[in-house]
Amino acid sequence: MTRGMIYKAMFIMAILVFAVLLILPTVGKREMSVIFEKDATTEQIADLEKHFASSGLLVVRSDAGFSVSGYGINDAVMNEVKIIPGVKEVRIIPHWSEKALLAKKMNLGLDLQGGMNLVMRADFESIEHKQDKKLTDSEKMDITQQALELLRNRIDKFGVSEPSIRPRGAEAIEIQLPGVKDPMSVKKAIGTTGRVEYRLVDDEYTRLAGQWLAGNIQRFKDGKIPENPEEQYTILNEAAKAIGLPARSELLFFYERDENTKKILPSYPIALEKEVALAGNDISKAWVGHDEYGRLSVHFTTTPDGASKFATVTSTKNHGRKLAIIIDEKVRSAPQVNVQITTGQALIQGDFTLEEVNTLARIIKEGALPVNLVIIEERTVGPSLGQDAIDAGIKATILAFSVVMIFMVAYYKLSGFIASIGLILNIICQLALLSWLGFTLTLPGIAGFILTLGMAVDSNVLIYERIREEQRSGKSPRIAVVNGFDRAFWAIVDSNITTLIAAFVLSQFGTGPIKGFAVTLSIGLISSLFVVLYVTRYVFEILSLSKNLKKLSV
Amino acid sequence: MERVIDFLRYRWIAIGLSFAVITLFAVTTYMRGGFAWGIDFIGGVKLTVQFDGRTDPGDVRKELEKHGIKADVQQYGREELNEFIVSSKLLERGESSEKSAETIKSSLDAAFPKIKILATETVGPAVGDFLKKSAVKLMLIAVALMGLYLAFRFELKYSAGVMVAVVHDVVMAFLFCGFMGVEINVPIVAAILTIFGYSVNDTIVIFDRVRENLTIHAKSAFGQILNISVTQTLARTFITSLTVLFCVLSLYVIGEGTISDFALVMLAGLISGTYSTIYIAAPVVLWWHKARGE
Repeated sequence: MTRGMIYKAMFIMAILVFAVLLILPTVGKREMSVIFEKDATTEQIADLEKHFASSGLLVVRSDAGFSVSGYGINDAVMNEVKIIPGVKEVRIIPHWSEKALLAKKMNLGLDLQGGMNLVMRADFESIEHKQDKKLTDSEKMDITQQALELLRNRIDKFGVSEPSIRPRGAEAIEIQLPGVKDPMSVKKAIGTTGRVEYRLVDDEYTRLAGQWLAGNIQRFKDGKIPENPEEQYTILNEAAKAIGLPARSELLFFYERDENTKKILPSYPIALEKEVALAGNDISKAWVGHDEYGRLSVHFTTTPDGASKFATVTSTKNHGRKLAIIIDEKVRSAPQVNVQITTGQALIQGDFTLEEVNTLARIIKEGALPVNLVIIEERTVGPSLGQDAIDAGIKATILAFSVVMIFMVAYYKLSGFIASIGLILNIICQLALLSWLGFTLTLPGIAGFILTLGMAVDSNVLIYERIREEQRSGKSPRIAVVNGFDRAFWAIVDSNITTLIAAFVLSQFGTGPIKGFAVTLSIGLISSLFVVLYVTRYVFEILSLSKNLKKLSV
Repeated sequence: MERVIDFLRYRWIAIGLSFAVITLFAVTTYMRGGFAWGIDFIGGVKLTVQFDGRTDPGDVRKELEKHGIKADVQQYGREELNEFIVSSKLLERGESSEKSAETIKSSLDAAFPKIKILATETVGPAVGDFLKKSAVKLMLIAVALMGLYLAFRFELKYSAGVMVAVVHDVVMAFLFCGFMGVEINVPIVAAILTIFGYSVNDTIVIFDRVRENLTIHAKSAFGQILNISVTQTLARTFITSLTVLFCVLSLYVIGEGTISDFALVMLAGLISGTYSTIYIAAPVVLWWHKARGE
């Protein structure tokens, strides 16, 4: 063996080890921490323990809850546990390789873990009816963005972790909620329109409430404000009592959007007058523009009715105070009142980013023109059906793999065995890439995976047939291997690229599951190229080095 | 030189056979009343329901008819599970699929004790339209991209041969759905696009060989070179088709519902793809070659 060959072997080993580490978060043991409610009964805790034991998980008791570890812990399991009485909080602990290697766990699609997938569309027809004109495409897009904002605002109500909300095309929104048990209530909550109102802020009490929270934050989980509305309500009540909030005011949380997760999270308490200064529908229009300094700002006009209310709110006695914009009981912005506005035309200034002004304008518009959402597509899968699908997928994979392997060994003997080892490496690399991408595995995704098992050996077949021909024409094993690989190279590349083109086109096909199919197909082909053209070739080069070898068994 | 099989001699028989099969499929599809479009494309409701104890699908159908719902009821999974897929397509536009899902649920609830709804799918008609349009658009994009790549890698006549073979396979697979009454849903479109990719893949290997043989056997007639190339790659064509076939069969045997439909269509496409590689793509190249007088 030459030095180059030893380096090659080390390189291949390193890639393999790395690939296996990447798969660990997906197939390895996971740990989940379950924290009890303070008033959880011993009975509830015993039930909970039984629940885990029956699913074959290892439970370790601690003061505040359980630490549960084992295989098959995923988001759906977590969401299921979350709603069991007596459970306060559930969290899946990140796997060590997730931190060390930026590995991600492969998520299961809703068809595999159970859950709800909704595609919604704003009710354009009723808006068109109300405004008595056709909406242009850009107006429709705008309304969809507005609805998206509204949905992000209220999605955490369902207590579902890892929800996904994203636009589909220009006019529809897709929502995925893993492990949802009560689809009806979700649909109800999503389908209603948002309530927007404008109320004056009480700065002194806001400051006091902020201080109180700073002193008490340690008591909450992770030192963060909880997202659950009921817990928030208890906290705000306690704070109101502690700071002696007068009856005319109330406390709410100010919400900000987290840049990374796009989730809207509570950031600090704010004291508001209970009296509604301006209702959402007192505003007639809102748009993004620039102020006199050229900064981004949100402009709006009120209705004639709203103009007089607005003049009162902005009268001199309120100058310097803030006017909070509240949507669904969440304070989303609180600009300061500086001048009295009687014309019903105003703007909100500040050092905004483009995204911030867009969000603000959308919220104001939501008040002005509430958007009804219509569900145009719904897919709900129960967890048992999902498990059946996973089992079937695993069975089909094993069956396909064994038959292909047996056939290859029977037909190509030793070379077939090498191809089979290659296939195993290919599966490992494929899973590693999918895990690294944080891919969501769906049933069609598994189908794509299985299909690539058959297609991956094609490259082997092409090469082996070539090596056979070369040997038949009397070439030595060494020359036959080199020629076989070289001459089959372009046929392999061409044929894989054309399949990749088809897969790429498929991945553009809107719906999620099909995208999954296309991704597994592409990744399977790419990893098979690496395995066959690099790893298998290496093995053959080593084999053909042997002087005693008269003929390769191909 | 080894034996060369004269594939091209049988090209007329092969093409006649293709036309006969396509005609048979098309006529059967027509007699069945056209393609069975699934709810993905025309909108509708699909419920997976588990009944408590043995249930006759006919009873379920009758029960729903009482409430004015025309539904298909199919057994799903093992018999002892008593699971059925109840699906109803939107016949009149404007009828809300949401509402009919509720009606089906409540009427089943009333008539059968202790049913469990395992999965629900409702698709509005607007979605179907959107999908149909994007399916057609994507097919065209796929053809364009593939043609471009082939024109870049090979001469135009090979590109034409591949394209004719691919269209042959796609039409075949599509009509096969009509022939078998397979419901055309999104996964079926995925199967057809995969067949598309596979068929090109299969053909390209032969043309790659033709290109190589053109320099090796420079003195032979073009038809003979085609025959030599097809013969040389024959083993590979069959073995690869076989390994893919094993995978598709595993999916067919173990998969349920849409996955087994997907596998069935893939199977048809696979057979058609292997056949067209030899008997459609090569003759087209030969004709093109002769027509140009090269």
